[in-house]
Amino acid sequence: MAHGLLVKNEDGDVLIDSDFPHYHFLGKYTHTSVTQVPDINEGGVANAAQGSNDYKGMQNMPARGEIYKFSVPVNGAKPPMCFIKPTSTGSSAPFTGIILTKQSGTNWEIWVFQSVVTSANPVLYCFAPLSQVSTSTSDTYGLKTFDNGGTATFDSRFKPLRVVGGGNITSPTLAHTGSTGSSWTASLGVNASSVSASFTNQSSASDLIYYCPSIASACQQYTHIEADQGWYSYTYYAWARGDLWWCFYRSCFRIASTSSFEANYGVYARGHVYEHKVDSTNLLFGIVLGAITGGAYFVAAVALAVNSGAFTSAGLDGGNYLPYENSYRNNSANAFIISKASYYD
Amino acid sequence: MSYGLEIFDSSGNKTFSTTDSTWTLLGVYTSNADTSTTHTGVPVMPTRLVTRIMVDQISGDDESYVHTFSLSGSTLTTTAPSSSETVKTIFMVFGK
Repeated sequence: MAHGLLVKNEDGDVLIDSDFPHYHFLGKYTHTSVTQVPDINEGGVANAAQGSNDYKGMQNMPARGEIYKFSVPVNGAKPPMCFIKPTSTGSSAPFTGIILTKQSGTNWEIWVFQSVVTSANPVLYCFAPLSQVSTSTSDTYGLKTFDNGGTATFDSRFKPLRVVGGGNITSPTLAHTGSTGSSWTASLGVNASSVSASFTNQSSASDLIYYCPSIASACQQYTHIEADQGWYSYTYYAWARGDLWWCFYRSCFRIASTSSFEANYGVYARGHVYEHKVDSTNLLFGIVLGAITGGAYFVAAVALAVNSGAFTSAGLDGGNYLPYENSYRNNSANAFIISKASYYD
Repeated sequence: MSYGLEIFDSSGNKTFSTTDSTWTLLGVYTSNADTSTTHTGVPVMPTRLVTRIMVDQISGDDESYVHTFSLSGSTLTTTAPSSSETVKTIFMVFGK
């Protein structure tokens, strides 16, 4: 820097550099609506006489998390940094993460996903560069810096972002480990061990807020196919049933203690499609069974299952939420930053 | 604090201190869906942190990868893991 202000601490970390824009407090925001991804549940012919007619809904499936929608009034190309003040902290707290950041007119739309439904709501503490902070102040005390173009980059009157910790965290690979089901009972609940990362110890976990956009996802499924044939009421029947259950998980986070940040998953979407066929007009058992086995059947069934009306009502894009099979994506190098709510309350 | 800088507002509330840590925004870079992009001119600071934000919703049946990245000197190299399933990604590079 040829001129300006550069403030470092004793570790050599740059605290203020007038050449670069600092993030300042925009405000504290509560959600405008809450929603969930609608269940995707669709089946074919039901027949009580031949084959099991049970478990054709979402029985035994894990509960879905919920999505809190926020609208943050900050006009500009740079997205706000939104810190989550979670509903609770500790080793039993829900996991929460930002799953969507999208510019919408003069606002930025932020979606926060929480792994379980609670009566309390997460709150956002949002920050933006000074050029996107529209609040004014009559305060004449403080320190203000400008870059060489004359643009304000730091102004203590607008509560600059103060950070108490941060780092990188890796989400678990799969959300569910072990068996995914037996017979017509799917077992897809989140049971992965949480991954933790440490940060500088603080005095109160409940005062902490964190910035850590969710980028990791996992998708797991369970299939079951069963068939039989024989005589029933003097008629020869062949029956077959095939089921596909799946969960799409999104990574989310929690403050586990005054020095520990944890990552795991929540059930973002879940689905179950099935086909149950009975044929009493011929003895070709293979035809009945063949009608429902194989990936092509499930691909077609999943495509039919999407109820676009339900997604419109929920304010979500339609889709089958089954992007891939039994795998995970984007689980590493998820940066997080910790601050304190009390700095801004 | 025995030395350093503290900044107060007119009510006497501390708004900043050199005992704080902070991150300075060095740049915001956008890599479009399904496209690998190299961003140059990233300012250098002793410590840097890169956050990634997926811009558009994952609807579950289409794009679901975010770009991977490497940051070396003033170059941020972002790679689309898939040519058809990588979502638009915003990179925010912070320094201190």
